[in-house]
Amino acid sequence: MSARSNAGRWPLLALALALSGAATAATFDADWILQAVARPAPSRTVFVELRESPMLKQPLRLQGEYRRETDGRLVRQVSAPYAETTTLAGGEALVERAGRAPRRIALSQVPELMAVQAGFGALLAGDRELLRRTYDVRADGTREQWTLQLLPRDPRLARSLARIDLHGRGAELRCVESHPAKGPPQLTLMAGAAAAADGVTDATKLAALCHGAAR
Amino acid sequence: MTDNPGTAARLGLLLAWIAVLALAGWALGRGLRMEEDLRRFLPTPRTPAQVLLVDELGEGPGSRVLLLALSGASPEAIAARSQAFRTALSARPEIALAANGEQGGLDAIPEHLRPYRYLLSPTLDSQPLDAAFLHDELQQRVQDLGSPAADLVEPLLPSDPTLETLRLAELWQPANAPQRHLGVWFDRAGTQALLLVQTHAAGFDSAGQQAAVAAIDAAFADSAQGLAEAAGVRLEISGPGAFAVAIRDRTEKEMRWIGTADTIGLLLLLGLAYRRWSMPLLGALPLASGGLAGLGAVALLFDGVHGITIAFGFTLIGVAQDYPIHFFSHLRPGQSPRASVRALWPTLITGVASTCIAYATFLFSGVEGLKQLAVFTITGLGVAAASTRWLLPRLVTPARRDPADSRVLSRLWRSVERLPRPRAALAVLAALALAVVAFAPGAFWQNDLARLTPVPPADLQRDAQLRAELGAPDVRFMLALQGADAEAVLQASEKLPAVLQKLQADSVLDGYDLAARYLPSIATQRARQAALPDTPQLRQALDEALVDLPFRGDAFEPFVEDVATARAAAPLTPADLAGTPLELAVSGLLLQGSDHATALVSLTGLHDPQALATAMAPLGAQLLDLKQASESLVAQWRVRLLAALAVAALLLAGTVWLALRAPRRVLRVLAPMALSTLLILAVLRALGVELNLFHLVSLILAAGLGLDYALFFDHAGDDRSEQLRTLHAVIVCSLTTLLVFSLLALSSIPVLRAIGGTVALGVAFNFALALLIARAPAVERSP
Repeated sequence: MSARSNAGRWPLLALALALSGAATAATFDADWILQAVARPAPSRTVFVELRESPMLKQPLRLQGEYRRETDGRLVRQVSAPYAETTTLAGGEALVERAGRAPRRIALSQVPELMAVQAGFGALLAGDRELLRRTYDVRADGTREQWTLQLLPRDPRLARSLARIDLHGRGAELRCVESHPAKGPPQLTLMAGAAAAADGVTDATKLAALCHGAAR
Repeated sequence: MTDNPGTAARLGLLLAWIAVLALAGWALGRGLRMEEDLRRFLPTPRTPAQVLLVDELGEGPGSRVLLLALSGASPEAIAARSQAFRTALSARPEIALAANGEQGGLDAIPEHLRPYRYLLSPTLDSQPLDAAFLHDELQQRVQDLGSPAADLVEPLLPSDPTLETLRLAELWQPANAPQRHLGVWFDRAGTQALLLVQTHAAGFDSAGQQAAVAAIDAAFADSAQGLAEAAGVRLEISGPGAFAVAIRDRTEKEMRWIGTADTIGLLLLLGLAYRRWSMPLLGALPLASGGLAGLGAVALLFDGVHGITIAFGFTLIGVAQDYPIHFFSHLRPGQSPRASVRALWPTLITGVASTCIAYATFLFSGVEGLKQLAVFTITGLGVAAASTRWLLPRLVTPARRDPADSRVLSRLWRSVERLPRPRAALAVLAALALAVVAFAPGAFWQNDLARLTPVPPADLQRDAQLRAELGAPDVRFMLALQGADAEAVLQASEKLPAVLQKLQADSVLDGYDLAARYLPSIATQRARQAALPDTPQLRQALDEALVDLPFRGDAFEPFVEDVATARAAAPLTPADLAGTPLELAVSGLLLQGSDHATALVSLTGLHDPQALATAMAPLGAQLLDLKQASESLVAQWRVRLLAALAVAALLLAGTVWLALRAPRRVLRVLAPMALSTLLILAVLRALGVELNLFHLVSLILAAGLGLDYALFFDHAGDDRSEQLRTLHAVIVCSLTTLLVFSLLALSSIPVLRAIGGTVALGVAFNFALALLIARAPAVERSP
């Protein structure tokens, strides 16, 4: 689970992936996925995020959209159940909440925020180099139904984040499943999956939506 | 020649002497406790500011602070380096505290003190812990849980739903901290990361500061590991400690080349004067013995030897270097060395005794530093003279040539004899010099100790800039509040912030820090306890607040328990902070004696000291000017020294009188050194030099040298050969002294320049005047 693989093992892994890819009709590997999901800025995608906590009666369900601006900023805008805008740029997060003074947080102090920028942000931007520098990237599945596993390379980040599973179909990233080092995985459904999740509250159904099994 | 020992015996004695010196040096090097604080050398403090300065402050909390700046790479790389650097710094034992703006977070508050957050934080002073407040806070916590930083906040929530712990940690960041960018402090331009480091060693402890600066450099080197992009980052260190280290390094470097040049010069000079290789080595033994004996005596009689005692002491016993030279110049074929030294002894001992009796007045000055100086010089001169008298003659082989046979010297002496005895001209010269001393413009005395070890203006400017950016405390001014105990001064100082904030708005000052910011008085803590709801009240408020929120009803039980604990806890006192990160912040600003306590308020960017002093006086806080206090101590020291010197001059004249018993001879011996002193003062004043303690000590040395020159010329009487040998001796003496001190005068360090210039002038004047005045009146006596 932890980032055991390293740069030295990468060629071997690539070879393994190439071999498994050869089995499918078209060539399929992590690079293919990364190329397919990249969107030219500006781009936006809606999301539904579920947050579980033992303190909460039921998981917190957030709706909103992720935006990537032309200047490279990554914006996470929550519209329900409350309004909040988080802007990641230049190593800092700016958190704006209705009726409150904006707060600035250094990404270096919140590894989770850094993980979002170097993972999800890099994915959308097609910045494969940043992604590979931050994570050990593994691909699985087919072009029609793939999973990309991101294992953090930085031990500091690995202490709080075990891995991120990205699920998608073709060029569509449908779900980000973040596995913290402790506690249950946190789901963020995107694009088609977010639309499909409208009105769905059952946790197992949502998980199934994320993994791409149910339609 | 019969009483002269053989070569083997001589060699044995020489080796034994050197061995004793080496042993004594080794023992002193191990056992000697050096004091570095200049104020310990100064008189007993009298004013409240002086007492605080000397007895309690050291040099104040500001003097332990070093300012660090990182630059030379992208902001991201610099920020990463700053974080790694801070981690490396906090692992170093020399560093008490390293701050770079990274939120201390929970580390600032130890687990067992966490329930106390409601007594320490001012949040609830203006805001009751009721349903409305809790609802507002909990609503934000929902959003926190929905944010990507949820994992960070979640563990805190059950016991601290208002995140009071984080608020306290933020509150305890240094007052007036710079802007935070990428998680660390940056300057306003955003190109340099800034750090504050507090050392364990006091600011005046230059050895301790040197160790701290070395630790900082090492931590900086360590922090480069694994940060390829941050490899080009540059480190700058500023602050009183860094300056002390820089000046110490510079002094050591200059002393190295000066020492080397001195050694070569002395070897050449003495070799040329005596044409014997052994003379330079033998000539160094009495002074070395005197110095070590002096140190040993001070170490025996006092707790520790002050650095200044050593510096001043070695300057003053420099006169002992002349003793072996007088002896060597009086060696001649046909007379055993012991006979030579016996003939010379009465004159030598007159000089030594009168100087020692003069220095003995320092013993009654009531100033520790001067007492040490007296013990050092009296022991040193005594041992140097005794070893010249009883040890040196056993080591020296009889001379093969007599300086009196030198044709050059004879010619020189004949022209000296033709010189007039310009009584009237010298009287006019003395009057002129006195006029210059009295009427030259400019301050007579220099009391500012900092001027002796000046910091380059560019560095000072940089320091002021960093200090302003970092909001680092002023090293000169601070406020002090005194009271019966810690509680009294904490209560009194809690009244200050209201006024200080108003003064801040009026730009009298930029900021301040005080102990009550970290540790409120017991009275305030009790008031906050009284304002906390009891458990049923709190449960009810919490239930009300949770009605429309997604939290479980029992999620905040630990919070209810913490508030109950805080309500019943005994208030925190300074002693409870021991071992926590707060201890350092509080102990620097709250000084506790056995029967009183002092609360200090450190100040930042003080623009109008007078306005601050006026506004603070009614509240019982006093503005301290540490610079003024230390200057007044220096002035006091000088007054005592001058008083001791006045008595010393009388005693010296009395001793010379007893030895010579002829008014004209006494006048001839004393006039050159008195006139020389006046002339040196006149030259220094005419050049616009403000006199400091080092000038004063150098004047005393110059006078001692002059006394010896005059005594020996007087001793030579009207015997031509004796006159020539004395001339030889005094020429060698003055040339060696002139060499050593002229090189010091070339130094860029003001202390060394003051000593060097003054003594070099003194040698020149004393030599010339001794020749003009003190030489025996051969013509008058000839029938």
